[in-house]
Amino acid sequence: MRKGYILKESFKTWLGAIKEKFPLIAPVQDDGLTLFKEVEKVDDIVLDYGITRMPPKDLFFPQTEKMFRIKNKNNVAIELESPEKVTDELVLFGVHSCDLKSILALDPVFTTRFPDRYYQERRDKTYVIGLSCTKALPTCFCTAYGINPTDADGADVHLTELGDKYLVEVVTERGEKLAAAIPGIIFEDTTNLEAEKAKLTEKVKGEIKFIDLTGVKEVLDENFELPLWEKWAQKCLGCGICTYVCPTCHCFDINDFNRGDGVGERFRCWDSCMFSDFTRMAGGHNPRPTKKERVRNRFMHKLKYHLDRYNIVGCVGCGRCVQRCPENIDIRAIISDIKGGV
Amino acid sequence: MKRLFEFIGFEPGRFHARWISGSEAQKVVETARKVTEEVRALGPNKKMRDDRC
Amino acid sequence: MLKEKIKSTVTELLENKRIDFVIGYGAGSDAGTVRPAFVKSVEEVEQLIWSPFAVNNLAKFVMDHLYENIKIGVIVKGCDSRSVIRLVQDKVFPRENFYVIGVPCKGILDKNKVAKDFDLSGDLVDFTEQGDEVILKTSKGEFKLRKEDYLLDKCYRCETPTPVVYDVLLGEEVAPFRTDDYEDVKAIENLSVEEKSRYWDKQFEKCIRCYACRNVCSACNCRDCVFDMAEPNWVGKAANLSENTAFHLIRAWHVAGRCVDCGECSRVCPMGIPVNTLNRKMIKDMKELFAVETPGKNPEQGPVLGTFRTDDPEEFM
Repeated sequence: MRKGYILKESFKTWLGAIKEKFPLIAPVQDDGLTLFKEVEKVDDIVLDYGITRMPPKDLFFPQTEKMFRIKNKNNVAIELESPEKVTDELVLFGVHSCDLKSILALDPVFTTRFPDRYYQERRDKTYVIGLSCTKALPTCFCTAYGINPTDADGADVHLTELGDKYLVEVVTERGEKLAAAIPGIIFEDTTNLEAEKAKLTEKVKGEIKFIDLTGVKEVLDENFELPLWEKWAQKCLGCGICTYVCPTCHCFDINDFNRGDGVGERFRCWDSCMFSDFTRMAGGHNPRPTKKERVRNRFMHKLKYHLDRYNIVGCVGCGRCVQRCPENIDIRAIISDIKGGV
Repeated sequence: MKRLFEFIGFEPGRFHARWISGSEAQKVVETARKVTEEVRALGPNKKMRDDRC
Repeated sequence: MLKEKIKSTVTELLENKRIDFVIGYGAGSDAGTVRPAFVKSVEEVEQLIWSPFAVNNLAKFVMDHLYENIKIGVIVKGCDSRSVIRLVQDKVFPRENFYVIGVPCKGILDKNKVAKDFDLSGDLVDFTEQGDEVILKTSKGEFKLRKEDYLLDKCYRCETPTPVVYDVLLGEEVAPFRTDDYEDVKAIENLSVEEKSRYWDKQFEKCIRCYACRNVCSACNCRDCVFDMAEPNWVGKAANLSENTAFHLIRAWHVAGRCVDCGECSRVCPMGIPVNTLNRKMIKDMKELFAVETPGKNPEQGPVLGTFRTDDPEEFM
């Protein structure tokens, strides 16, 4: 890993140089929400945000994605046209450590046993620039999963704001490519900056309430039935907020769009295990018939299944579901109930 | 229905609702003519178009 | 103290087996949040609280107990009580299976507004109200604020501070002291066609189709929802401006004349879409056209669009 720095006074110029070369996606204010969006002006980028309303996952796994076009004009032969190119190269800037980790949690789902060309291409063509947190929100709990709020894990290039400089860590080969393409990083000794970064890490960690996960997986390994699921499920509305704002939730549904004249497209779009029809079979049977099974599935996935399957966390402690759940179903409180075995 | 359509930005005149009995042939003709004229004057509808494919 | 009154009332109801369980408010993750609490036994009554932030409408949770021979106690504010009328009038949940515990309410605090000026990240230890001031005692400090500056938008136009239906009322009746002038609707009505279109396109573009606005709605009480159907595929699952607009229009029309204006749809929206403004536009129109009251406000008044009077205006003739 190469390390260097960018002076704050030339930082916007550096971002501007990126924007010259690539579409630049970064946190911006949009109608009162902080969202990852394509940047119009570098000045619009929000550098000191807490958390974006939506996670960055839709850069790799869009909510609605065309898979191929279907043509059946004269009812003779069906033609299928796959898109030749899914995306152009782009730069995703300003991703916090929890969201960086979430990308790593999604990778094995879409690139290992069932390689997904759409995800893979988006992933391959995106340069991810991470940005350390300088403050924590009351809903943050990344440290529960061993993530530090300044971790570079998952970024190609990672930045940390320290005084009048940004510490730059070039993490991957793709990061090297980006650093070479966009001049402005000064590769000099950064020992002092690294010491300052360590101080910042401790400061932000200190602001985060530590949630101890010791024993949680073991309880879930041993117990499928626990009274706590019914207790939490009865508060659930069955909406899709928690799964859609979650950076690691990745379920989708495949549908056809029919223009009405024999032309249409097959697309996939996000789906949610909290919806009552998520597991409903064609014949009407539903193996998860009530909210209890659905709520249990979601939290088992976050705290157990993803670890079992991919040996990586299924929750990164970003706190979006805690912030947005209309009935305040709080995964931190569920963790504490699991530990209590209730 | 018309009111909500207009509330979200459809042009007044884009949507018409008329109660016509099966025996009011003349009214059917007049209404169809009026609707056609008004909608033609507005030009193609831009809202709620699904431009996929 | 209201909290003590709630606890003693529920304890008595449970002890005398007059109800099977009660749906009330419990403490949430922080001082500005409450969480529904389902209390089935006297031992669990301790969970119940009252909070100046008790915004959630709890009435719809009875829908998890359709066709059960059961009596459910529900704690309702004025706005929520209209939802009880909704569920009863729609014959979704029978009145005799409800035990309505009414709470007179002069307004609920908007946690987003309060959090801008005060640190709500601690626990709510206690609160006291003196005149129009409220003192919040939280684990992160004590805050004194003027209630009138921090209420939910809907509270400034509340027409039913006292529940319109209840089996027991915890506190003195509060006479209506505000009126609804539909300023939010008028502001949009006064825009030009292009401005209206641009405004709503922006809102509908944000929609992530999580269906929280539907799921929280007491007028959305169909057993099978049009939005869950794949065959026929009335509204596509794709999230794009066209389908999202169709979703919001259909949602609004399906609750027209039945929406009780509790405002929960706007509250739960994770993307800040003013969902309820569409419903309020229709309530305003219906009030002007048919001289009716907000649905649910008058238990004698049936669903507006399910009622016919010979003197109804007929713009479509």
